[in-house]
Amino acid sequence: MRVGSTMLVRQNLTRKLSRSILLVICIGIAFFVFGVLSSFRAGFEGSEANSERLVVASKIGGNETLPLRYFQQLGGMDEIAEVTHVTRLRAHTAGNERNIIGANAVDAQSYASVYADTYDFNAEIMQAFQADRTATLVGRQLAEREGWAVGDRVNLTSFVHMTQDASRDWSFVIAGLLDGAEPTVDTNFLIVRYDYFNAALLRNQDQVNLFGIKPAVGTDINVLAETIDMTFANSTAQTRTQSETAFMSAFLEQFADVALIVKLIVSVSFGTILLIVANTMIFAIRERTLEIGVLKVLGFSGSSIMRIILTETLVLFAAGLALGFALTAAVIPVLGDALSSVVPDLYLTPKVVATSVGLAVVFAVLTGFLPAIKALRLPVATALNHR
Amino acid sequence: MTISNNSTIELRGVSKSYQRGKSKVPIFDELTMTIEDGDFVAIMGPSGSGKSTILNLIGGIDTIDAGAISVGGTVLGNMNESALTRWRSNHVGFVFQFYNLMPMLSAAENVELPLLLTSLSRSERKKRVETILEIVGLTERARHLPSELSGGQQQRVGIARAVAADPQILLCDEPTGDLDRKSANEILELLQLLNTKLNKTIIMVTHDESSTAYAKRTLFLDKGRFIQQEMNQCA
Ligand SMILES: Nc1ncnc2c1ncn2[C@@H]1O[C@H](COP(=O)(O)OP(=O)(O)O)[C@@H](O)[C@H]1O
Ligand SMILES: [Mg+2]
Repeated sequence: MRVGSTMLVRQNLTRKLSRSILLVICIGIAFFVFGVLSSFRAGFEGSEANSERLVVASKIGGNETLPLRYFQQLGGMDEIAEVTHVTRLRAHTAGNERNIIGANAVDAQSYASVYADTYDFNAEIMQAFQADRTATLVGRQLAEREGWAVGDRVNLTSFVHMTQDASRDWSFVIAGLLDGAEPTVDTNFLIVRYDYFNAALLRNQDQVNLFGIKPAVGTDINVLAETIDMTFANSTAQTRTQSETAFMSAFLEQFADVALIVKLIVSVSFGTILLIVANTMIFAIRERTLEIGVLKVLGFSGSSIMRIILTETLVLFAAGLALGFALTAAVIPVLGDALSSVVPDLYLTPKVVATSVGLAVVFAVLTGFLPAIKALRLPVATALNHR
Repeated sequence: MTISNNSTIELRGVSKSYQRGKSKVPIFDELTMTIEDGDFVAIMGPSGSGKSTILNLIGGIDTIDAGAISVGGTVLGNMNESALTRWRSNHVGFVFQFYNLMPMLSAAENVELPLLLTSLSRSERKKRVETILEIVGLTERARHLPSELSGGQQQRVGIARAVAADPQILLCDEPTGDLDRKSANEILELLQLLNTKLNKTIIMVTHDESSTAYAKRTLFLDKGRFIQQEMNQCA
């Protein structure tokens, strides 16, 4: 038996076109909300934080510094395979105080080896970086955001650091673009050379914000963290050593409550919207009890009627899902820029897409199946008296 | 009585009751009748006397409590619901008082609906729909929605849909109940044409005495029994 049901599916979707459109919009918004939330969470979870690495910062607080000489001391420890240091420029693009740029002064060689797993430091960009003291390597996401290309000059103004001519303006030349080793890695930042930066500083020379540490194979990182903090316990600048993940989550903790609230609101609205959709579908199908009876009289089997109704809800959910993805795809880059300092990376992951598709199918089947089975169970004679 | 290629309708000792609350309300008790191929029977009777129920039983959309109904030798009670549904699409066409057309489908699409269940190709279906719309005189209105048609025209679409898959039996439940006299007569003439020219067996429930003139005979139903039968002259 061949059932050309397209015309029945079409008539059901178009009989109350505005209702179908509103349903599609509802479903679209639900999945938009879901898509953004899930990307938000993926952004937190998918950050490049690595539990195998350690971060040494000042015990006092995030903006305090540690002396550069710790670099040699740490490098001499047997349990440490690689160590590097990072100093924040704390700068914005020249002329635009609101456009804050994540910019770090680093030691090229050691930085590349500590973060070799996370970023793609290929020979080409490393050579270019080392060839010019004023060179900068710009993360691809940042370059795309700002419209920068290799060879461009980047003019930054630091909130704190002055050059020797008492200016807070810094200028660098883009030597290369830095990619993450994986697409989820945030590359919304740039690095410049510490040797140049440090030499050009008016004051606070030989101070750094962080040390990044790659422990030697087989080292217990908790023990190592304690050893490091003990080593500097009697110095003027005491340290606080954490795993990179702990460091990142401590940094993100201030936003965690916000994230939880966002998550709650989003789940509730997602659920509510889908309940409204389900309810509307149930009514839309109940309205059709008589028609379903007539189809049965004409000789349509229960399963072919079920197929028609499920196709209809699947079409609605597919259209809604497409709308939701379109909105999400449009909004995520904007949101990602706005939140780049909070959420390292907003990115519509394949997993989020797959989950959305799965949810859409489940909801489409449920909202179609339940009212349909009810209508189909009704004796035809009763259905025919339904109006 | 021939068995093959005929669709004689036989009710033997048919009993049917409905549950209303706790009590059983009998509709028919031991009802027996035969309707031969090519007959045109009008059924009259007071409201609630079971006229619609009889059509539903013969069309296999309601079930009996006792007795047997057979159509062309096929015993309906022996089929499960899906077999009955398939059987119905081949053997029986229903015409309703309120037409029951699909509101978003054109006249032609409504007529095509039962053909979706046949093995006809798309172009064969289109051709069949054209032919039938011509028979009922609606060629010009093929692309109109039901809401754009008069009651009489909608009922002609309803009849066209009922005969589209070429069933032998037409079951018509007050087909003119919602129409003015003139449209009603046109519909009755159309049914008569289907009966005389295409030899369709027609069972038509009606409230209207004058409608019975188009049928070959009239049965009067009351309290679950046929109390009277009138033979009409063939028009
Ligand atoms: N599905 C049903 N459930 C319960 N009672 C029914 C059902 N269908 C019909 N009846 C009852 O059976 C009787 C006959 O109904 P029906 O055949 O529709 O009468 P008619 O068409 O002659 O007016 C009525 O009393 C009606 O209320
Ligand atoms: Mg009735």
